[in-house]
Amino acid sequence: MASSAAIHVAVIGAGIVGAAAAHFLAAAGARVTLLDASGPAAGATGASDGAVSVASKRPGPMMDLARHARAFYVRCERDGLFRGLFHRRSTFLVARTAVEAELVARHGADLAAAGERVVEVDRATLLARIPGLGASVCAALEIPDDGHALGYEITQRLLGRSRIAIRRNAPAAEIVMRAGRAAGVAIGDELVAADAVLVAAGIGSAPLLGLGEILIPRKGQMAVTDRASPSGPAIDGHLMAASYLAAKRGIAREDGHIGLVIDPLMTGQFLIGGSREDHRSDHATDARTIAAILREALDLYPPLAHRRVLRSFAGVRTASRDGLPIVGAHPRREGIVIATGFEGDGICLGPFMGACAARLLLGEAPAVDLKALSPQRFLRVEAHA
Amino acid sequence: MTEAPILIVGGGPAGASAAATLAEAGLPVLLVEQRDQLGGAIHRQPANGAGNHVWRPARHRRNWAALTARLRACAGMIEIRTQTVFLGVDGEGRFLFDDRRAGRVFASRPRAAIVAVGAVETIRPFPGWELPGVMTAGGAQVLLKETGRPPEGPILIAGSGPLLPALAAQLARAGNPPVAVLERGRPWRRPATLARLALAGGPMGEAAAYAAALALARVPYRGGAVVTRAEPDGAGLTVGMRIGADERVLRVRHLLIHDGIEPNRVGIPLPAPEAAVPVLLAGDGREALGADAALLDGRRAALQLLARLGAGAAELAGLESRLERARRVQAALAQALRSEPVEPAPETLICRCEGRSYADLQALDGDASAREIRLMGRFGLGACQGRFCGPMIAALRGRPVPAASPPRWPLRPVSVAALARLSTDETE
Repeated sequence: MASSAAIHVAVIGAGIVGAAAAHFLAAAGARVTLLDASGPAAGATGASDGAVSVASKRPGPMMDLARHARAFYVRCERDGLFRGLFHRRSTFLVARTAVEAELVARHGADLAAAGERVVEVDRATLLARIPGLGASVCAALEIPDDGHALGYEITQRLLGRSRIAIRRNAPAAEIVMRAGRAAGVAIGDELVAADAVLVAAGIGSAPLLGLGEILIPRKGQMAVTDRASPSGPAIDGHLMAASYLAAKRGIAREDGHIGLVIDPLMTGQFLIGGSREDHRSDHATDARTIAAILREALDLYPPLAHRRVLRSFAGVRTASRDGLPIVGAHPRREGIVIATGFEGDGICLGPFMGACAARLLLGEAPAVDLKALSPQRFLRVEAHA
Repeated sequence: MTEAPILIVGGGPAGASAAATLAEAGLPVLLVEQRDQLGGAIHRQPANGAGNHVWRPARHRRNWAALTARLRACAGMIEIRTQTVFLGVDGEGRFLFDDRRAGRVFASRPRAAIVAVGAVETIRPFPGWELPGVMTAGGAQVLLKETGRPPEGPILIAGSGPLLPALAAQLARAGNPPVAVLERGRPWRRPATLARLALAGGPMGEAAAYAAALALARVPYRGGAVVTRAEPDGAGLTVGMRIGADERVLRVRHLLIHDGIEPNRVGIPLPAPEAAVPVLLAGDGREALGADAALLDGRRAALQLLARLGAGAAELAGLESRLERARRVQAALAQALRSEPVEPAPETLICRCEGRSYADLQALDGDASAREIRLMGRFGLGACQGRFCGPMIAALRGRPVPAASPPRWPLRPVSVAALARLSTDETE
C-alpha cells in the first residue's frame, strides 16, 4: 500500500472521535481533511457530561474497552496532550432502595471481575465524603480510578495541537466510490478527493454508509447550575444513581427513563442529567422532564436546593441498533472506516477509539481487539432477515 | 367554562397598553410582571410606596396615569401577577415563570401571548467597565426612580444617546449633578442631521428642558468624548478619557455608562406567522423605539391579535404611521450621534459572568459558530446567558451572534427547588 506519508484521509465528523482520529492520523504523517456539517463538537460531544467512567459501563466488551480508553486518557494527560483537561476523580454508584443496593452490588462484582478497583462505602463514610447526601441513600460503591474531561475541550485541544483546519458547514452528501474503493466525499457539487474516508458523524453517519437503519438517536436533557464553589469540583466525586446503571445494563428500558447523574464540574458548577428519549433527535428541553430530573437529584443530594439552574440543554446520543459502538472497516466498501454509535460513552471512549480508527485507516492493527464492535455484524443480521 | 386568558409578558408601557386594549375588547388577560409593580423601566415606581418623585417629562406622567386608569377600569378582566419572572418558552410550548413569592415555577400553555419584555442596554467595553462603581446609566436611572436619591459622590456619565443628558438632568434635579457628560458622537458637527431630527418630530422641547437643567447645574456636555479605561482608586475610580485629541484623567465615585438599547431577544422565540398559538412581540422588545412608541406598539400587537381572533382592527393603519414617525426620529438620532467603532484593548472584559476577555474572543476562529463562541470561548454561558455580552460580541465581530436554536431556557437563573416544584395549567 501507499506509504502513510502520502495517504490522504477525509474525516467526516469533528466530534471527539473524528478529532482524535484526525489528530493521530496527522501525527502519523497522513494528510487529513476534517469535515463537519456544522463545526467542532457540535453534536453529542458538546452536549454531554464529562464522565470518563468505567463504573457506568455494561459488563463485557464495553467495560473492558472503557478501561483501555480511560488508561489512554491517563497516558495522554501524562504526555501533555490532555494536560489540565483530564482529572482523576471517583465515581460513586449510589443506591436508595434494597433493590437498587442489590443492583449496585452486582455491578460492583462485575467491575471487580474486570479488574477494576471497587471500594464498598458505608453511609457514614459516604456522608463524610459528601456531606448533605440524601437520607434515602443506603449503599454505595466507590470506583476510585475514574476521571473527568469535557468533550469539547478535548476536541479543541486535539485539533489545536495538530493544527488541523476544519471545514465547517460542510455536510457530506455521499462517499464517492471509484473502482470499488472510496475516492472522496461529495460536499454539494464539490468532490473532496481522498484515499480513505472515516465516518464518525454520529447520527449523520447512517445515510453515508448504506447499511440500513443501524443507528438510533436517543435524546438526553440536562441542566447546569451556578457555582457551588468558586473553583474546583464542589463535591468529591461523581454521583451516579442506580437508575443510571439500570439503563446501562438494559434493565430499565422504558422511554423517557431518567438515569440520574450529578456531575461536579471543574468550574464549581453541577451538571445534572439526564433523560433517555428514544428516536428523539431534536435539541429542545421541556420543563416537565427537567423538573423530574431535578426532583430525583434533590432526593439524592438535597443541598442542590440552594443552587440555581443557569441553563438546560439537550444532547442527542447516537446508539447502534444492538447497543454496542460500531468501529471497523466498512463490510462492503473498501477504503471506508466507521467509528460511531458510542451512545453516552463517547467522551470516555472517543479519544482511544479515534486513535484505533486512525491505525485502521493506516493499515495497522489497533491496540486492542475490536471484533465485538465490527460493522460486519450488521451484514449478518441483514442476511438472516 | 371561563374563557382562557391571553398571556401578556411584561408590565411596562407596551404590555400594559396591550392588556388594556384586549380587556376593553372583552378578552380576559393574564399580565405577568417581574417587579412588584407595573411600569417597566420607564415608569418604574418608587419602592415600598415611598413618596419620592424623580423629575421627568409631564408627558410620561400623563401617559402612565391614563394607562393605569384604563387598567383599573377593566380590572375584572385582567389578572396581574407581579414578582413573577419570565423564564422563556420550553420545547413543548410552555411559557415558564418563576413565581418568586410562591417559590415555584409555573408553566402555562396560553391560547395566545404578547411578549413585551423591553430592551437591554448596550455598552462599548473598555478596560475596567466591570469594576464596582461602574454601572449602566439605565440601571442607575431605575435605582434613582426607586429610591428618589442620587448616588453619593462625584458621578461621570459616558457613552452615547439621549439617555445621557436625560439622566444627568434628573441627577441634577435630585441634588447631585454629574461632573460631566461625555457623548461619544459629535452632534454639533452634524447640524444637518440635527435639523432632520427636528423635522422628523424629535422631542426637541424635552431636549431643551434637559439642556436648560444641565446649564443651570453647570454640567459640561462634551461631544467626541470617550472613556478609555477605569481603575480602582480607594473607594472610587480613576477614569481615563479622550476628548477630541486630549487625554485626561478624572477621579469619580461613580461612572455611569450607556451606548444605546437593543430589543431583549435572548431566548425569546421569534413569532411564527402560522403558529397554532399566536405569539406577538411588542414594544422595545420588538423594536427599540422608546416609551411613547411602546404604548402604540402594545396597542398595535393587541389589535393584531384581535384581528387574528376575528375582531376588527380598523385603527391599525393609523398606528403604523405613528410608529413609522418614531422610527424616523430614532434613525435621525442615531445618525446625529454616530461614531466610529473603536477596538478595545485585548485585556478588556467582554463576558462579566465568566470573566472572558476580548483576547479570548479573538483567540476563537473567525468563523466560529455561536455554539463554539459559547462552548470553546465560554462567552454567554453565565448568569446572563449572553443577554449583556451578546450585543457586545456581535458589535466586535461585526455580525450578529446567531441565537441558540431552539431558544434556551431558563432566561434567568432559577432556584433548583422552585423548578423541581413545577406546576402546570395542563389537565392531562
